[in-house]
Amino acid sequence: MRSTILILLALLLSAPALLVQAQPSGELVIALPNDPTALYIANASDVTTIAVTRQLYDGLLWLDDKGSLHPGLAERWEISDDSTQYTFYLREGVTFHNGEPFTAEAIVAAWEYGLTPGNEYPQYYSSAESVEVLDDFTVRVTTPEPDALFVIDLVEGWFALPPRYLEEVGLEGFQRAPVGTGPFMLEEWVPGDRIVMRAYPDYWNPGEPKVERVVLRVIPDASTRVAAIQTGEVDIVNRLNVEQATLLESNADVRVISYPNDRVFYVAFKNLNSGMGTPIESRQVRQAFNYAINRPGILQALFGGHGQLATGFTAIGNLGYDPELKPYPYDPQRARELLAEAGYGDGFSIGLTCPADAYTNINEVCLTIQRDLAAVGVDVELQFLTTSKFWSEPNYGSTGPMFVDGWSTPAGEALPRIEGAHYPGLYYNSWVDDGITAYVDQLASTIDREERAALYRELSRYLFDDPPFVYLYTLNIFEATTSRVTGYRPLPTETWYLNQVAVDA
Amino acid sequence: MLVLVFFTVRLTGDPVGLMVARNATPEQREAFRVAHGFDRPLAEQFIGYLGNALGGDLGKSLRLHLPNAELIMQRLPATMELALAALLLSLVIAVPLGIISGVFPGSPLDLLARLIGLAGQTIPSFWLAMILILVFAVNLRLFPTFGRDSLEHLVLPAVALSVASMGQMVRLLRSAVLEVSRENYIRTARSKGLSEIVITLRHVTPNALIPLVSVVGVNFTYMLGGSVYIETIFAWPGLGTLLNDAINDSDFPLVQAITIFIAAFAIGLNLLTDIAYDLIDPRARQR
Amino acid sequence: MPVRIFDALSPRQPRLQLRVRLPYGVHRLLHDPGALLGLILVSLVVLTALFAEQLAPYGPTEGSLLDAKRPEVWQEQGLEGHLLGTDQLGQDILSRVIYGARVSLAVGFFGVLLASAIGVTLGMSAGYLGGRVDEAISSIVNLLLSFPYLVLVIIIATVFGRNLLNVIIIFGITDAPVFARLVRGEVLRLRNVDYVVAAVGLGAPTWRILLRHLLPNLVGPLVTLMTFEMSAMIFYEAGLSFLGLSVPPEVPSWGNMLALGRKFLYIFPWMSIYPGLAISLTAFGVNLLGDWMRDVLDPRLRRAD
Repeated sequence: MRSTILILLALLLSAPALLVQAQPSGELVIALPNDPTALYIANASDVTTIAVTRQLYDGLLWLDDKGSLHPGLAERWEISDDSTQYTFYLREGVTFHNGEPFTAEAIVAAWEYGLTPGNEYPQYYSSAESVEVLDDFTVRVTTPEPDALFVIDLVEGWFALPPRYLEEVGLEGFQRAPVGTGPFMLEEWVPGDRIVMRAYPDYWNPGEPKVERVVLRVIPDASTRVAAIQTGEVDIVNRLNVEQATLLESNADVRVISYPNDRVFYVAFKNLNSGMGTPIESRQVRQAFNYAINRPGILQALFGGHGQLATGFTAIGNLGYDPELKPYPYDPQRARELLAEAGYGDGFSIGLTCPADAYTNINEVCLTIQRDLAAVGVDVELQFLTTSKFWSEPNYGSTGPMFVDGWSTPAGEALPRIEGAHYPGLYYNSWVDDGITAYVDQLASTIDREERAALYRELSRYLFDDPPFVYLYTLNIFEATTSRVTGYRPLPTETWYLNQVAVDA
Repeated sequence: MLVLVFFTVRLTGDPVGLMVARNATPEQREAFRVAHGFDRPLAEQFIGYLGNALGGDLGKSLRLHLPNAELIMQRLPATMELALAALLLSLVIAVPLGIISGVFPGSPLDLLARLIGLAGQTIPSFWLAMILILVFAVNLRLFPTFGRDSLEHLVLPAVALSVASMGQMVRLLRSAVLEVSRENYIRTARSKGLSEIVITLRHVTPNALIPLVSVVGVNFTYMLGGSVYIETIFAWPGLGTLLNDAINDSDFPLVQAITIFIAAFAIGLNLLTDIAYDLIDPRARQR
Repeated sequence: MPVRIFDALSPRQPRLQLRVRLPYGVHRLLHDPGALLGLILVSLVVLTALFAEQLAPYGPTEGSLLDAKRPEVWQEQGLEGHLLGTDQLGQDILSRVIYGARVSLAVGFFGVLLASAIGVTLGMSAGYLGGRVDEAISSIVNLLLSFPYLVLVIIIATVFGRNLLNVIIIFGITDAPVFARLVRGEVLRLRNVDYVVAAVGLGAPTWRILLRHLLPNLVGPLVTLMTFEMSAMIFYEAGLSFLGLSVPPEVPSWGNMLALGRKFLYIFPWMSIYPGLAISLTAFGVNLLGDWMRDVLDPRLRRAD
């Protein structure tokens, strides 16, 4: 890597003409569905905010849209034999947008400020026990025990922060005028309206970024976003539904992008609070529900077939995904038999809670589930809650014995959502079982990828045969760009890096 | 009002559930709660809040991590611009049209006036907003779709927001003119041989405009409410979108701050309307 | 004895007035095409709501995903039996519009009923008892009146969650100040009218004065206001649905249909056109009827228009 950069530098220096060509140019306009809540990564808890902040900062490592890890501010790194110490060798000659030089202290600052009480995302930082500066460009991070997901924490959080500037302006001042080492610098933020960023001329990776100005426009209404790309007022829109994507495909100036998203949707059974003592504690009942819900029908009718039926929490593209595992078929007859075996041949009535409007078509999915279960004699009392109520109590305490939700995880690893949904003591778990707990413990401390993949496959079988969920589907995401945009490659987590994106004048 | 707002927003759900990452441990959740003072008893939270609010301190947003007063002031100009534009548009069209239709009932302009009056009562503003985008932005490309960049961007949202009040004003003026025209002093003026134009301009119009004053104030407050839809659809960066986001995110401090701000604003406006009414209406002045 | 004097005063009461006015109202109705149209429209909506089961070809939540998103029957992709097409879940648009009349009318009618009940109680207490009570009630009423109605509704709706009863209660409470103001004004005016003064002087109990002497006089302006507020509530219900705060998604309210159809406005326009039309026509009818009632029931306004 370093040698390539040197060659590139030499080339650039010897050929001024090339240098001129490499100048970033043009303006890219992106529609955002909501205003970022902050431009400071430790407080970035929604997809939009994460996507926007990534343009301003750099992490030690980064993941591309295919899930491969690349060096960022760390040129290389070593992991100790006991898998608890990470030594990072940092890139030299990098500067923050305000001119402050980047050193190992910037990583210490990222860790310390990340742990500030009241932050929304403390757990990216709390996974490290200590951060030591070995020299100006070497830093060692220690985790208390082997932690398979620590690399994800590094990718998602741990963006270099300028210690001197932070000292000077404080956290609040920093939120108003954030400074990073990223490819773009913040020029203007008009809350609720726009964020304007300009290419950082001294970016450490020559040739990046390619556009001179990025304007992010906040457009809350989906129909308006679709209208705005039709008129060419914006270049990129995301979160399109199938119908909107179809409409835009007929437009010659617009290109529709589709990619699988990692969010697994599911109907959860609870063996905690309101689920205790209900028929869903019976394994046959849970299996019956998996047969009774017409998931292929839902995927086809509501999402135009643009997605995959889920077989578990390890989705396609996740480490350890098992293609051998076939989804439960739609078989109401089998469902009725299983219900009869479980002693519920005459049906029963049970509550299902739906987070109203939280995801695309989620209300309609809930209504269809109600309809399908009625067909096998189960009377579903459907309740819609606003999202703030839905997620307000520990263990989904405000919902009925069953609820519908979706869970995405970063970086192609299913562990965060498996752990989150099942591990005892976690805030949003809904089904706790000793067998699952044992698997999770083992997965969390196994670093070897092959071993992990095998463990994931075993766990998937376990969760398939004794299902704590009705696994629904994962969906394809639709986005659209105007035809003048090139190099836009969104990640499966619906975020993006704009380093390589260019626009025709 | 403060009490009402404080306790109702607290019932909307626990902000910690939405704010803190899903995989956070209970300890991290508790830390968030403590850092934002949600661990203290409600009564204590309320007293602290009341003290601050009376001192002009509206607290800090949970979600946006900045002082609420600052956030409100950032968004206020956009909302004011939109509401004032809509109000102005209503007046500019409603006043002449309402008077003409009252003076010449049955004329083509009267028909137009009645249609506008009808539209105000029968077309929901958010519905109209979407149709306006479809027709004038996407199909005809006459106006931009969204945002607040130039005067052009103001046109569609202002039209959508003004239709209800425009309709109401037209109807009000029309019947006021009809009523005033039958008053004795107008008959007297007519019998004295004054020309219709003079009568309309000097006698009918000023009297017919009096009830409009109170309607203007009320409509302005209603527009602040209606702006929640219109701003969302046109991506207009005002208080309406801020309030909508704050409610969706359970950002209690911000919801409280916006509500209190709007209440204070509305009360002030009410006072101004009363004063204006007293100044204009000779009957009120004599009191 | 006092009772007889009291009775002698009663001809001034509105029972008689109504008898006098009725022919005028009918006369106006027959000679005003607008009023007639309003009456026809409103009757249609009311009948639709009452006989939804008989009129609708399907149940409001009946349907199959296989039949989803079909346009009107006369279009190329249309499906036999679904006159106005189907929605995203394969539910019949026409049937849902028909059942939707029920929800919209329930919200409008019961919301107004509740609002006027609260408003009349508050307004009468304030206007009749005066003093501190009046001050207290008036200041609350004025505060609520000056506050943007919609903002209040949105906040309360967020708290109480989505169901029909809550929507009705929210509208009932938030709209009550409008009625309270009207009633208070009227009571203040009527309190000095001769027969009331006489009744008070003769020692009639307060409740009797309020119920027998004041309330009947309020009927005219009240009914008029109720009509206008009812159409406003049908509008606000649609608005709340737009923000996802009204009745739950499975309930076939026009607002819900519009909110859902809005997502597909450019692609499947029939999903939102018909509920939108239903809202507009109902509001139109109710308003026309309101105009007529105002003319008939409120003598002071009779001259205008």
